[in-house]
Amino acid sequence: MSKKFFLVFVTVFLAVCFIAVAGSQSYAGAKKEVLIGALYPMTGRAGLYGKDSVAAVEMAVNEINSKGGVAGYKLNVLFTDSKVKPAYAVRIAKRYILEDKVNFLFGVVSSGVGLAVTQVSKKYKKIFIGTDHASTRLTVDNFQPYYFRVSNNTFQSMAAGALYLKDLQKEKGWKTIAFIGPDYAYGHSQWDELQYNLKRYGVKYKVVGVYWPKIYTPDYTSYITSIMKDKPDVLVAGFWGGDTVAFIKQAIPYGLFKKMIYFHPDAGGNYELMSAMGDELPLGLILSARHHDNWPDTKLNKEFVNKFHKLTGRYPSYAAEGAYAGIYAIAYAVKKVGNPNDTAKLIKALEGLKIKLPEDPEGFTSYMRPETHQIVQVQAIGVTVPNKNYPPATRMLGKWKVYKAEDLIPPMDYIKSHRKK
Amino acid sequence: MSLKRLNNRIFLAGIVVLLFLLPFMKVSEYVVILMNEIIVWGLFALAFNLLFGVSGMLSFGQALFYGFGAYVTGLMVIHFGAFWFIPSILIGMTAVIAISILLGLITIRLSGVYFTMLTLAFAQLGWEIVFKWYSFTGGDDGIQGIYPPDFLGTPKAYYYFSLILVLLSVWIIRKFVNSPYGLTLRCLRQNPIRVSFLGRKVKNYQLGVYVVSAIFSSLAGSLMAGINGSIHPGMLNWTTSGEVILMSVLGGIGQFFGPFLGGGVIVLIEDIIGAYTEYWSFIIGIIMLLIVLLFPKGVLGEFSKLRRRLKI
Amino acid sequence: MDLSFIFVQIISGLTVATFLFLVASGLTLIFGVVDVFNFAHGSFYMLGAYLGYQIISYWHVNFWAALFLASIWVGILGMAMEFFFLRRIYGRAEEGGFQILLTYSFILIIDDVVKMIWGTEYKTIERPAGFSGSIKIGSAILPSYYLVIIIIGLLLVVLSWLILNHTRPGKIARASAIDREMLGILGVNVPLTMTTVFGIATALGGMSGILAAPLRSVTPGAGIEVIIDSLIVVVLGGMGNFWGAWVGALIIGEVNSFAVAYVPKWASLFNYLS
Repeated sequence: MSKKFFLVFVTVFLAVCFIAVAGSQSYAGAKKEVLIGALYPMTGRAGLYGKDSVAAVEMAVNEINSKGGVAGYKLNVLFTDSKVKPAYAVRIAKRYILEDKVNFLFGVVSSGVGLAVTQVSKKYKKIFIGTDHASTRLTVDNFQPYYFRVSNNTFQSMAAGALYLKDLQKEKGWKTIAFIGPDYAYGHSQWDELQYNLKRYGVKYKVVGVYWPKIYTPDYTSYITSIMKDKPDVLVAGFWGGDTVAFIKQAIPYGLFKKMIYFHPDAGGNYELMSAMGDELPLGLILSARHHDNWPDTKLNKEFVNKFHKLTGRYPSYAAEGAYAGIYAIAYAVKKVGNPNDTAKLIKALEGLKIKLPEDPEGFTSYMRPETHQIVQVQAIGVTVPNKNYPPATRMLGKWKVYKAEDLIPPMDYIKSHRKK
Repeated sequence: MSLKRLNNRIFLAGIVVLLFLLPFMKVSEYVVILMNEIIVWGLFALAFNLLFGVSGMLSFGQALFYGFGAYVTGLMVIHFGAFWFIPSILIGMTAVIAISILLGLITIRLSGVYFTMLTLAFAQLGWEIVFKWYSFTGGDDGIQGIYPPDFLGTPKAYYYFSLILVLLSVWIIRKFVNSPYGLTLRCLRQNPIRVSFLGRKVKNYQLGVYVVSAIFSSLAGSLMAGINGSIHPGMLNWTTSGEVILMSVLGGIGQFFGPFLGGGVIVLIEDIIGAYTEYWSFIIGIIMLLIVLLFPKGVLGEFSKLRRRLKI
Repeated sequence: MDLSFIFVQIISGLTVATFLFLVASGLTLIFGVVDVFNFAHGSFYMLGAYLGYQIISYWHVNFWAALFLASIWVGILGMAMEFFFLRRIYGRAEEGGFQILLTYSFILIIDDVVKMIWGTEYKTIERPAGFSGSIKIGSAILPSYYLVIIIIGLLLVVLSWLILNHTRPGKIARASAIDREMLGILGVNVPLTMTTVFGIATALGGMSGILAAPLRSVTPGAGIEVIIDSLIVVVLGGMGNFWGAWVGALIIGEVNSFAVAYVPKWASLFNYLS
């Protein structure tokens, strides 16, 4: 039986592949531009963060380009859906570097994807600006010189959380604590880091229950009734996104929020929760996020939020501000160095980054910590209060407590002990 | 007939030569990496098709063995150093024999959709363990920094390394399929009862092919770990099994090289469509739908049908 | 451990189980009667939730009316899928594989279509009026909405058992699972039966989506998240068996509920072990 014909076909096919791929050669270099290769999830649960990030990136790029770009260069961003698949994201990152010849890698929501892409960045010596993924491992355990993150990580949220709990203990004298978080690295590192910081700030407490539901668990009923039995004074939650919505919705009829303090300092205060739950969201929950639409009350933040709303018809989740900050960080570095190609100098410039961002309150400017390449920012924790200024949400955070940036970063001995591993 | 066979060989040899020469053509490093992924996915799809296309057993859990190979390699390289990269591939392939025999003894007792569901359940169990056991497997973060030894450090060198292993595997699989053992398997697909009347122990044959498929899936997983430098529990998830089924059907499950071609097409589609639109899953869905409805024999199968009609 | 807590966990397990069962019921019906494994069943669940959201927030109708309307729409979509697509691959060699692929392609397509229409923001539906509170049974708190769900679940088991076993259409449906050819010879319109059953099954999927929406967040990708769990329920219950699926869901719900309370670290592993 002859397979000649299909072998011809295979040959033709392979040839077409080569031409197709080789033909999609880069167009950078010809024009004077800073090419940025962005990876964001556009589907599934994390799709909202991806969409918000892309909108914010385009907003920042337009702002900069309409003022003539930086150092004579226009910014240009390529977007690809990361599919939240690390293996796929690695391939795209390689394409960005080898085919499209980007100057910067950019983006990423999932820490798993971030950790995989940072390897590519290290191998090809290409700067990678992380805008959202929260894992502290990227800047502590797996630190590498080409990676920079421009939003707070879980360690900073948990340090702020520990300080808040310390204040709360003085006010209300709570003694027992329970934790519930998604059963993967993000949840576990929050709990580890919270315990570390509670110890660091000398808070005494007793743990009465620790729960690890699977991420995207649809039904929390059994967890809720079990937590009610534990009777903790404070329930710390480490969910993100839709899981927070589901947990709160299911806990309301059990009266959970009347029996204990609900404390959710990393992603609980994200706008998506307020917008999804409307009137159903109980008052008095203690929440925070990496950026808030209604705090700080600065001109920069108001402009950012309103402009985003005008462009997209919705208010931004915190992912948007991280992405916005990332573009301005690149602009800052390119301006300082004068071109987007000198990687060594760009790293030096980014290590000295000092930049006023929407989430910075009066009198504070975000800056890069050279030892970890992690941005240093204040964190504000608030309580849910009625507020109809950001529809469809009818509750927003208020009664803010603000924690100093320097108290939130990991101390050097913590970093050293983690890097040794 | 013999002339045609000769022609066949010449063409196959031509493709092999083309694959070997690829890095010397005027292509960028990325094309080499992409081609490397294609041949590894192709091997995985070929191994899967041993079960589905050859023996008629639809496994929805081959990702388990693929991920297993990747994690054996990843963990050994991380803990014992790059030297262990090559031994770890062999260790993975050996260890997977034990696992697949164990699982196979349970799964092949069932047939049809029940077999499919049971393989799926086992693979999901494996995924869950890898996902949860973060102190050992790194959980959802996966494991990064899996570098092969220095002499395989460049994409080109690694490409040749994988190419030789893949070609060797393809040759072995082809021999296997064309052997009397393979013939019995193909009969099994059409009529298991008649095969048992002929005095063959059906279950033994099914177990055999299940193990062989697992071995080459594990090899593909190990090779993929080396390409990406990182591994992730998603490699064991059912979506990975789904992807490899798609590749096989797209290429044509009735053709020996069909799955291989399907692997290439899917990788390229993902690469090209992903760059232009966020609605990639819509487009892949439509393509899949069209193939299932209109071209059930897959790209290669439809082509050979066309060829027969045109008598080329 | 005190008895009242055990009672509470049993009730929790029951509500979890009922949701699992609701989603799985349509799957098991399609499987038992039409002999199709519908991988996209979860996507119909998701579609139901989105349509329910759309009907309630734009037409401001009552929750129960929306439940009814959206279930029917989803059922019609399901019938269209069977009529235009699935029907074409019946009887093909390797039908099982092609079924999985075809329905899998619908997962991909529906996911993106939902995103095109409703975007990626999370949507929610409020609990229907009158069912936002909870009642007390001894020391156990049971949200009244859950009670409704549990009752709906039980009704569904009993009703479908009655219909399948004691009515003529039910008997025809079951017969078509055994021998379609014979049934055709006897003068029954087999294709119509199959399309109808498919519609009912997807409507059940859509219904469970709307029923779940007040307790969960409606997001793209929700379909993929529920499918594997319902699959386990269906397999555990013996495919095509309503009572089996209900018992299977109950086992998973209860095992999970007590694993959460006593071995929280490994709780979700039990799903696969049981």
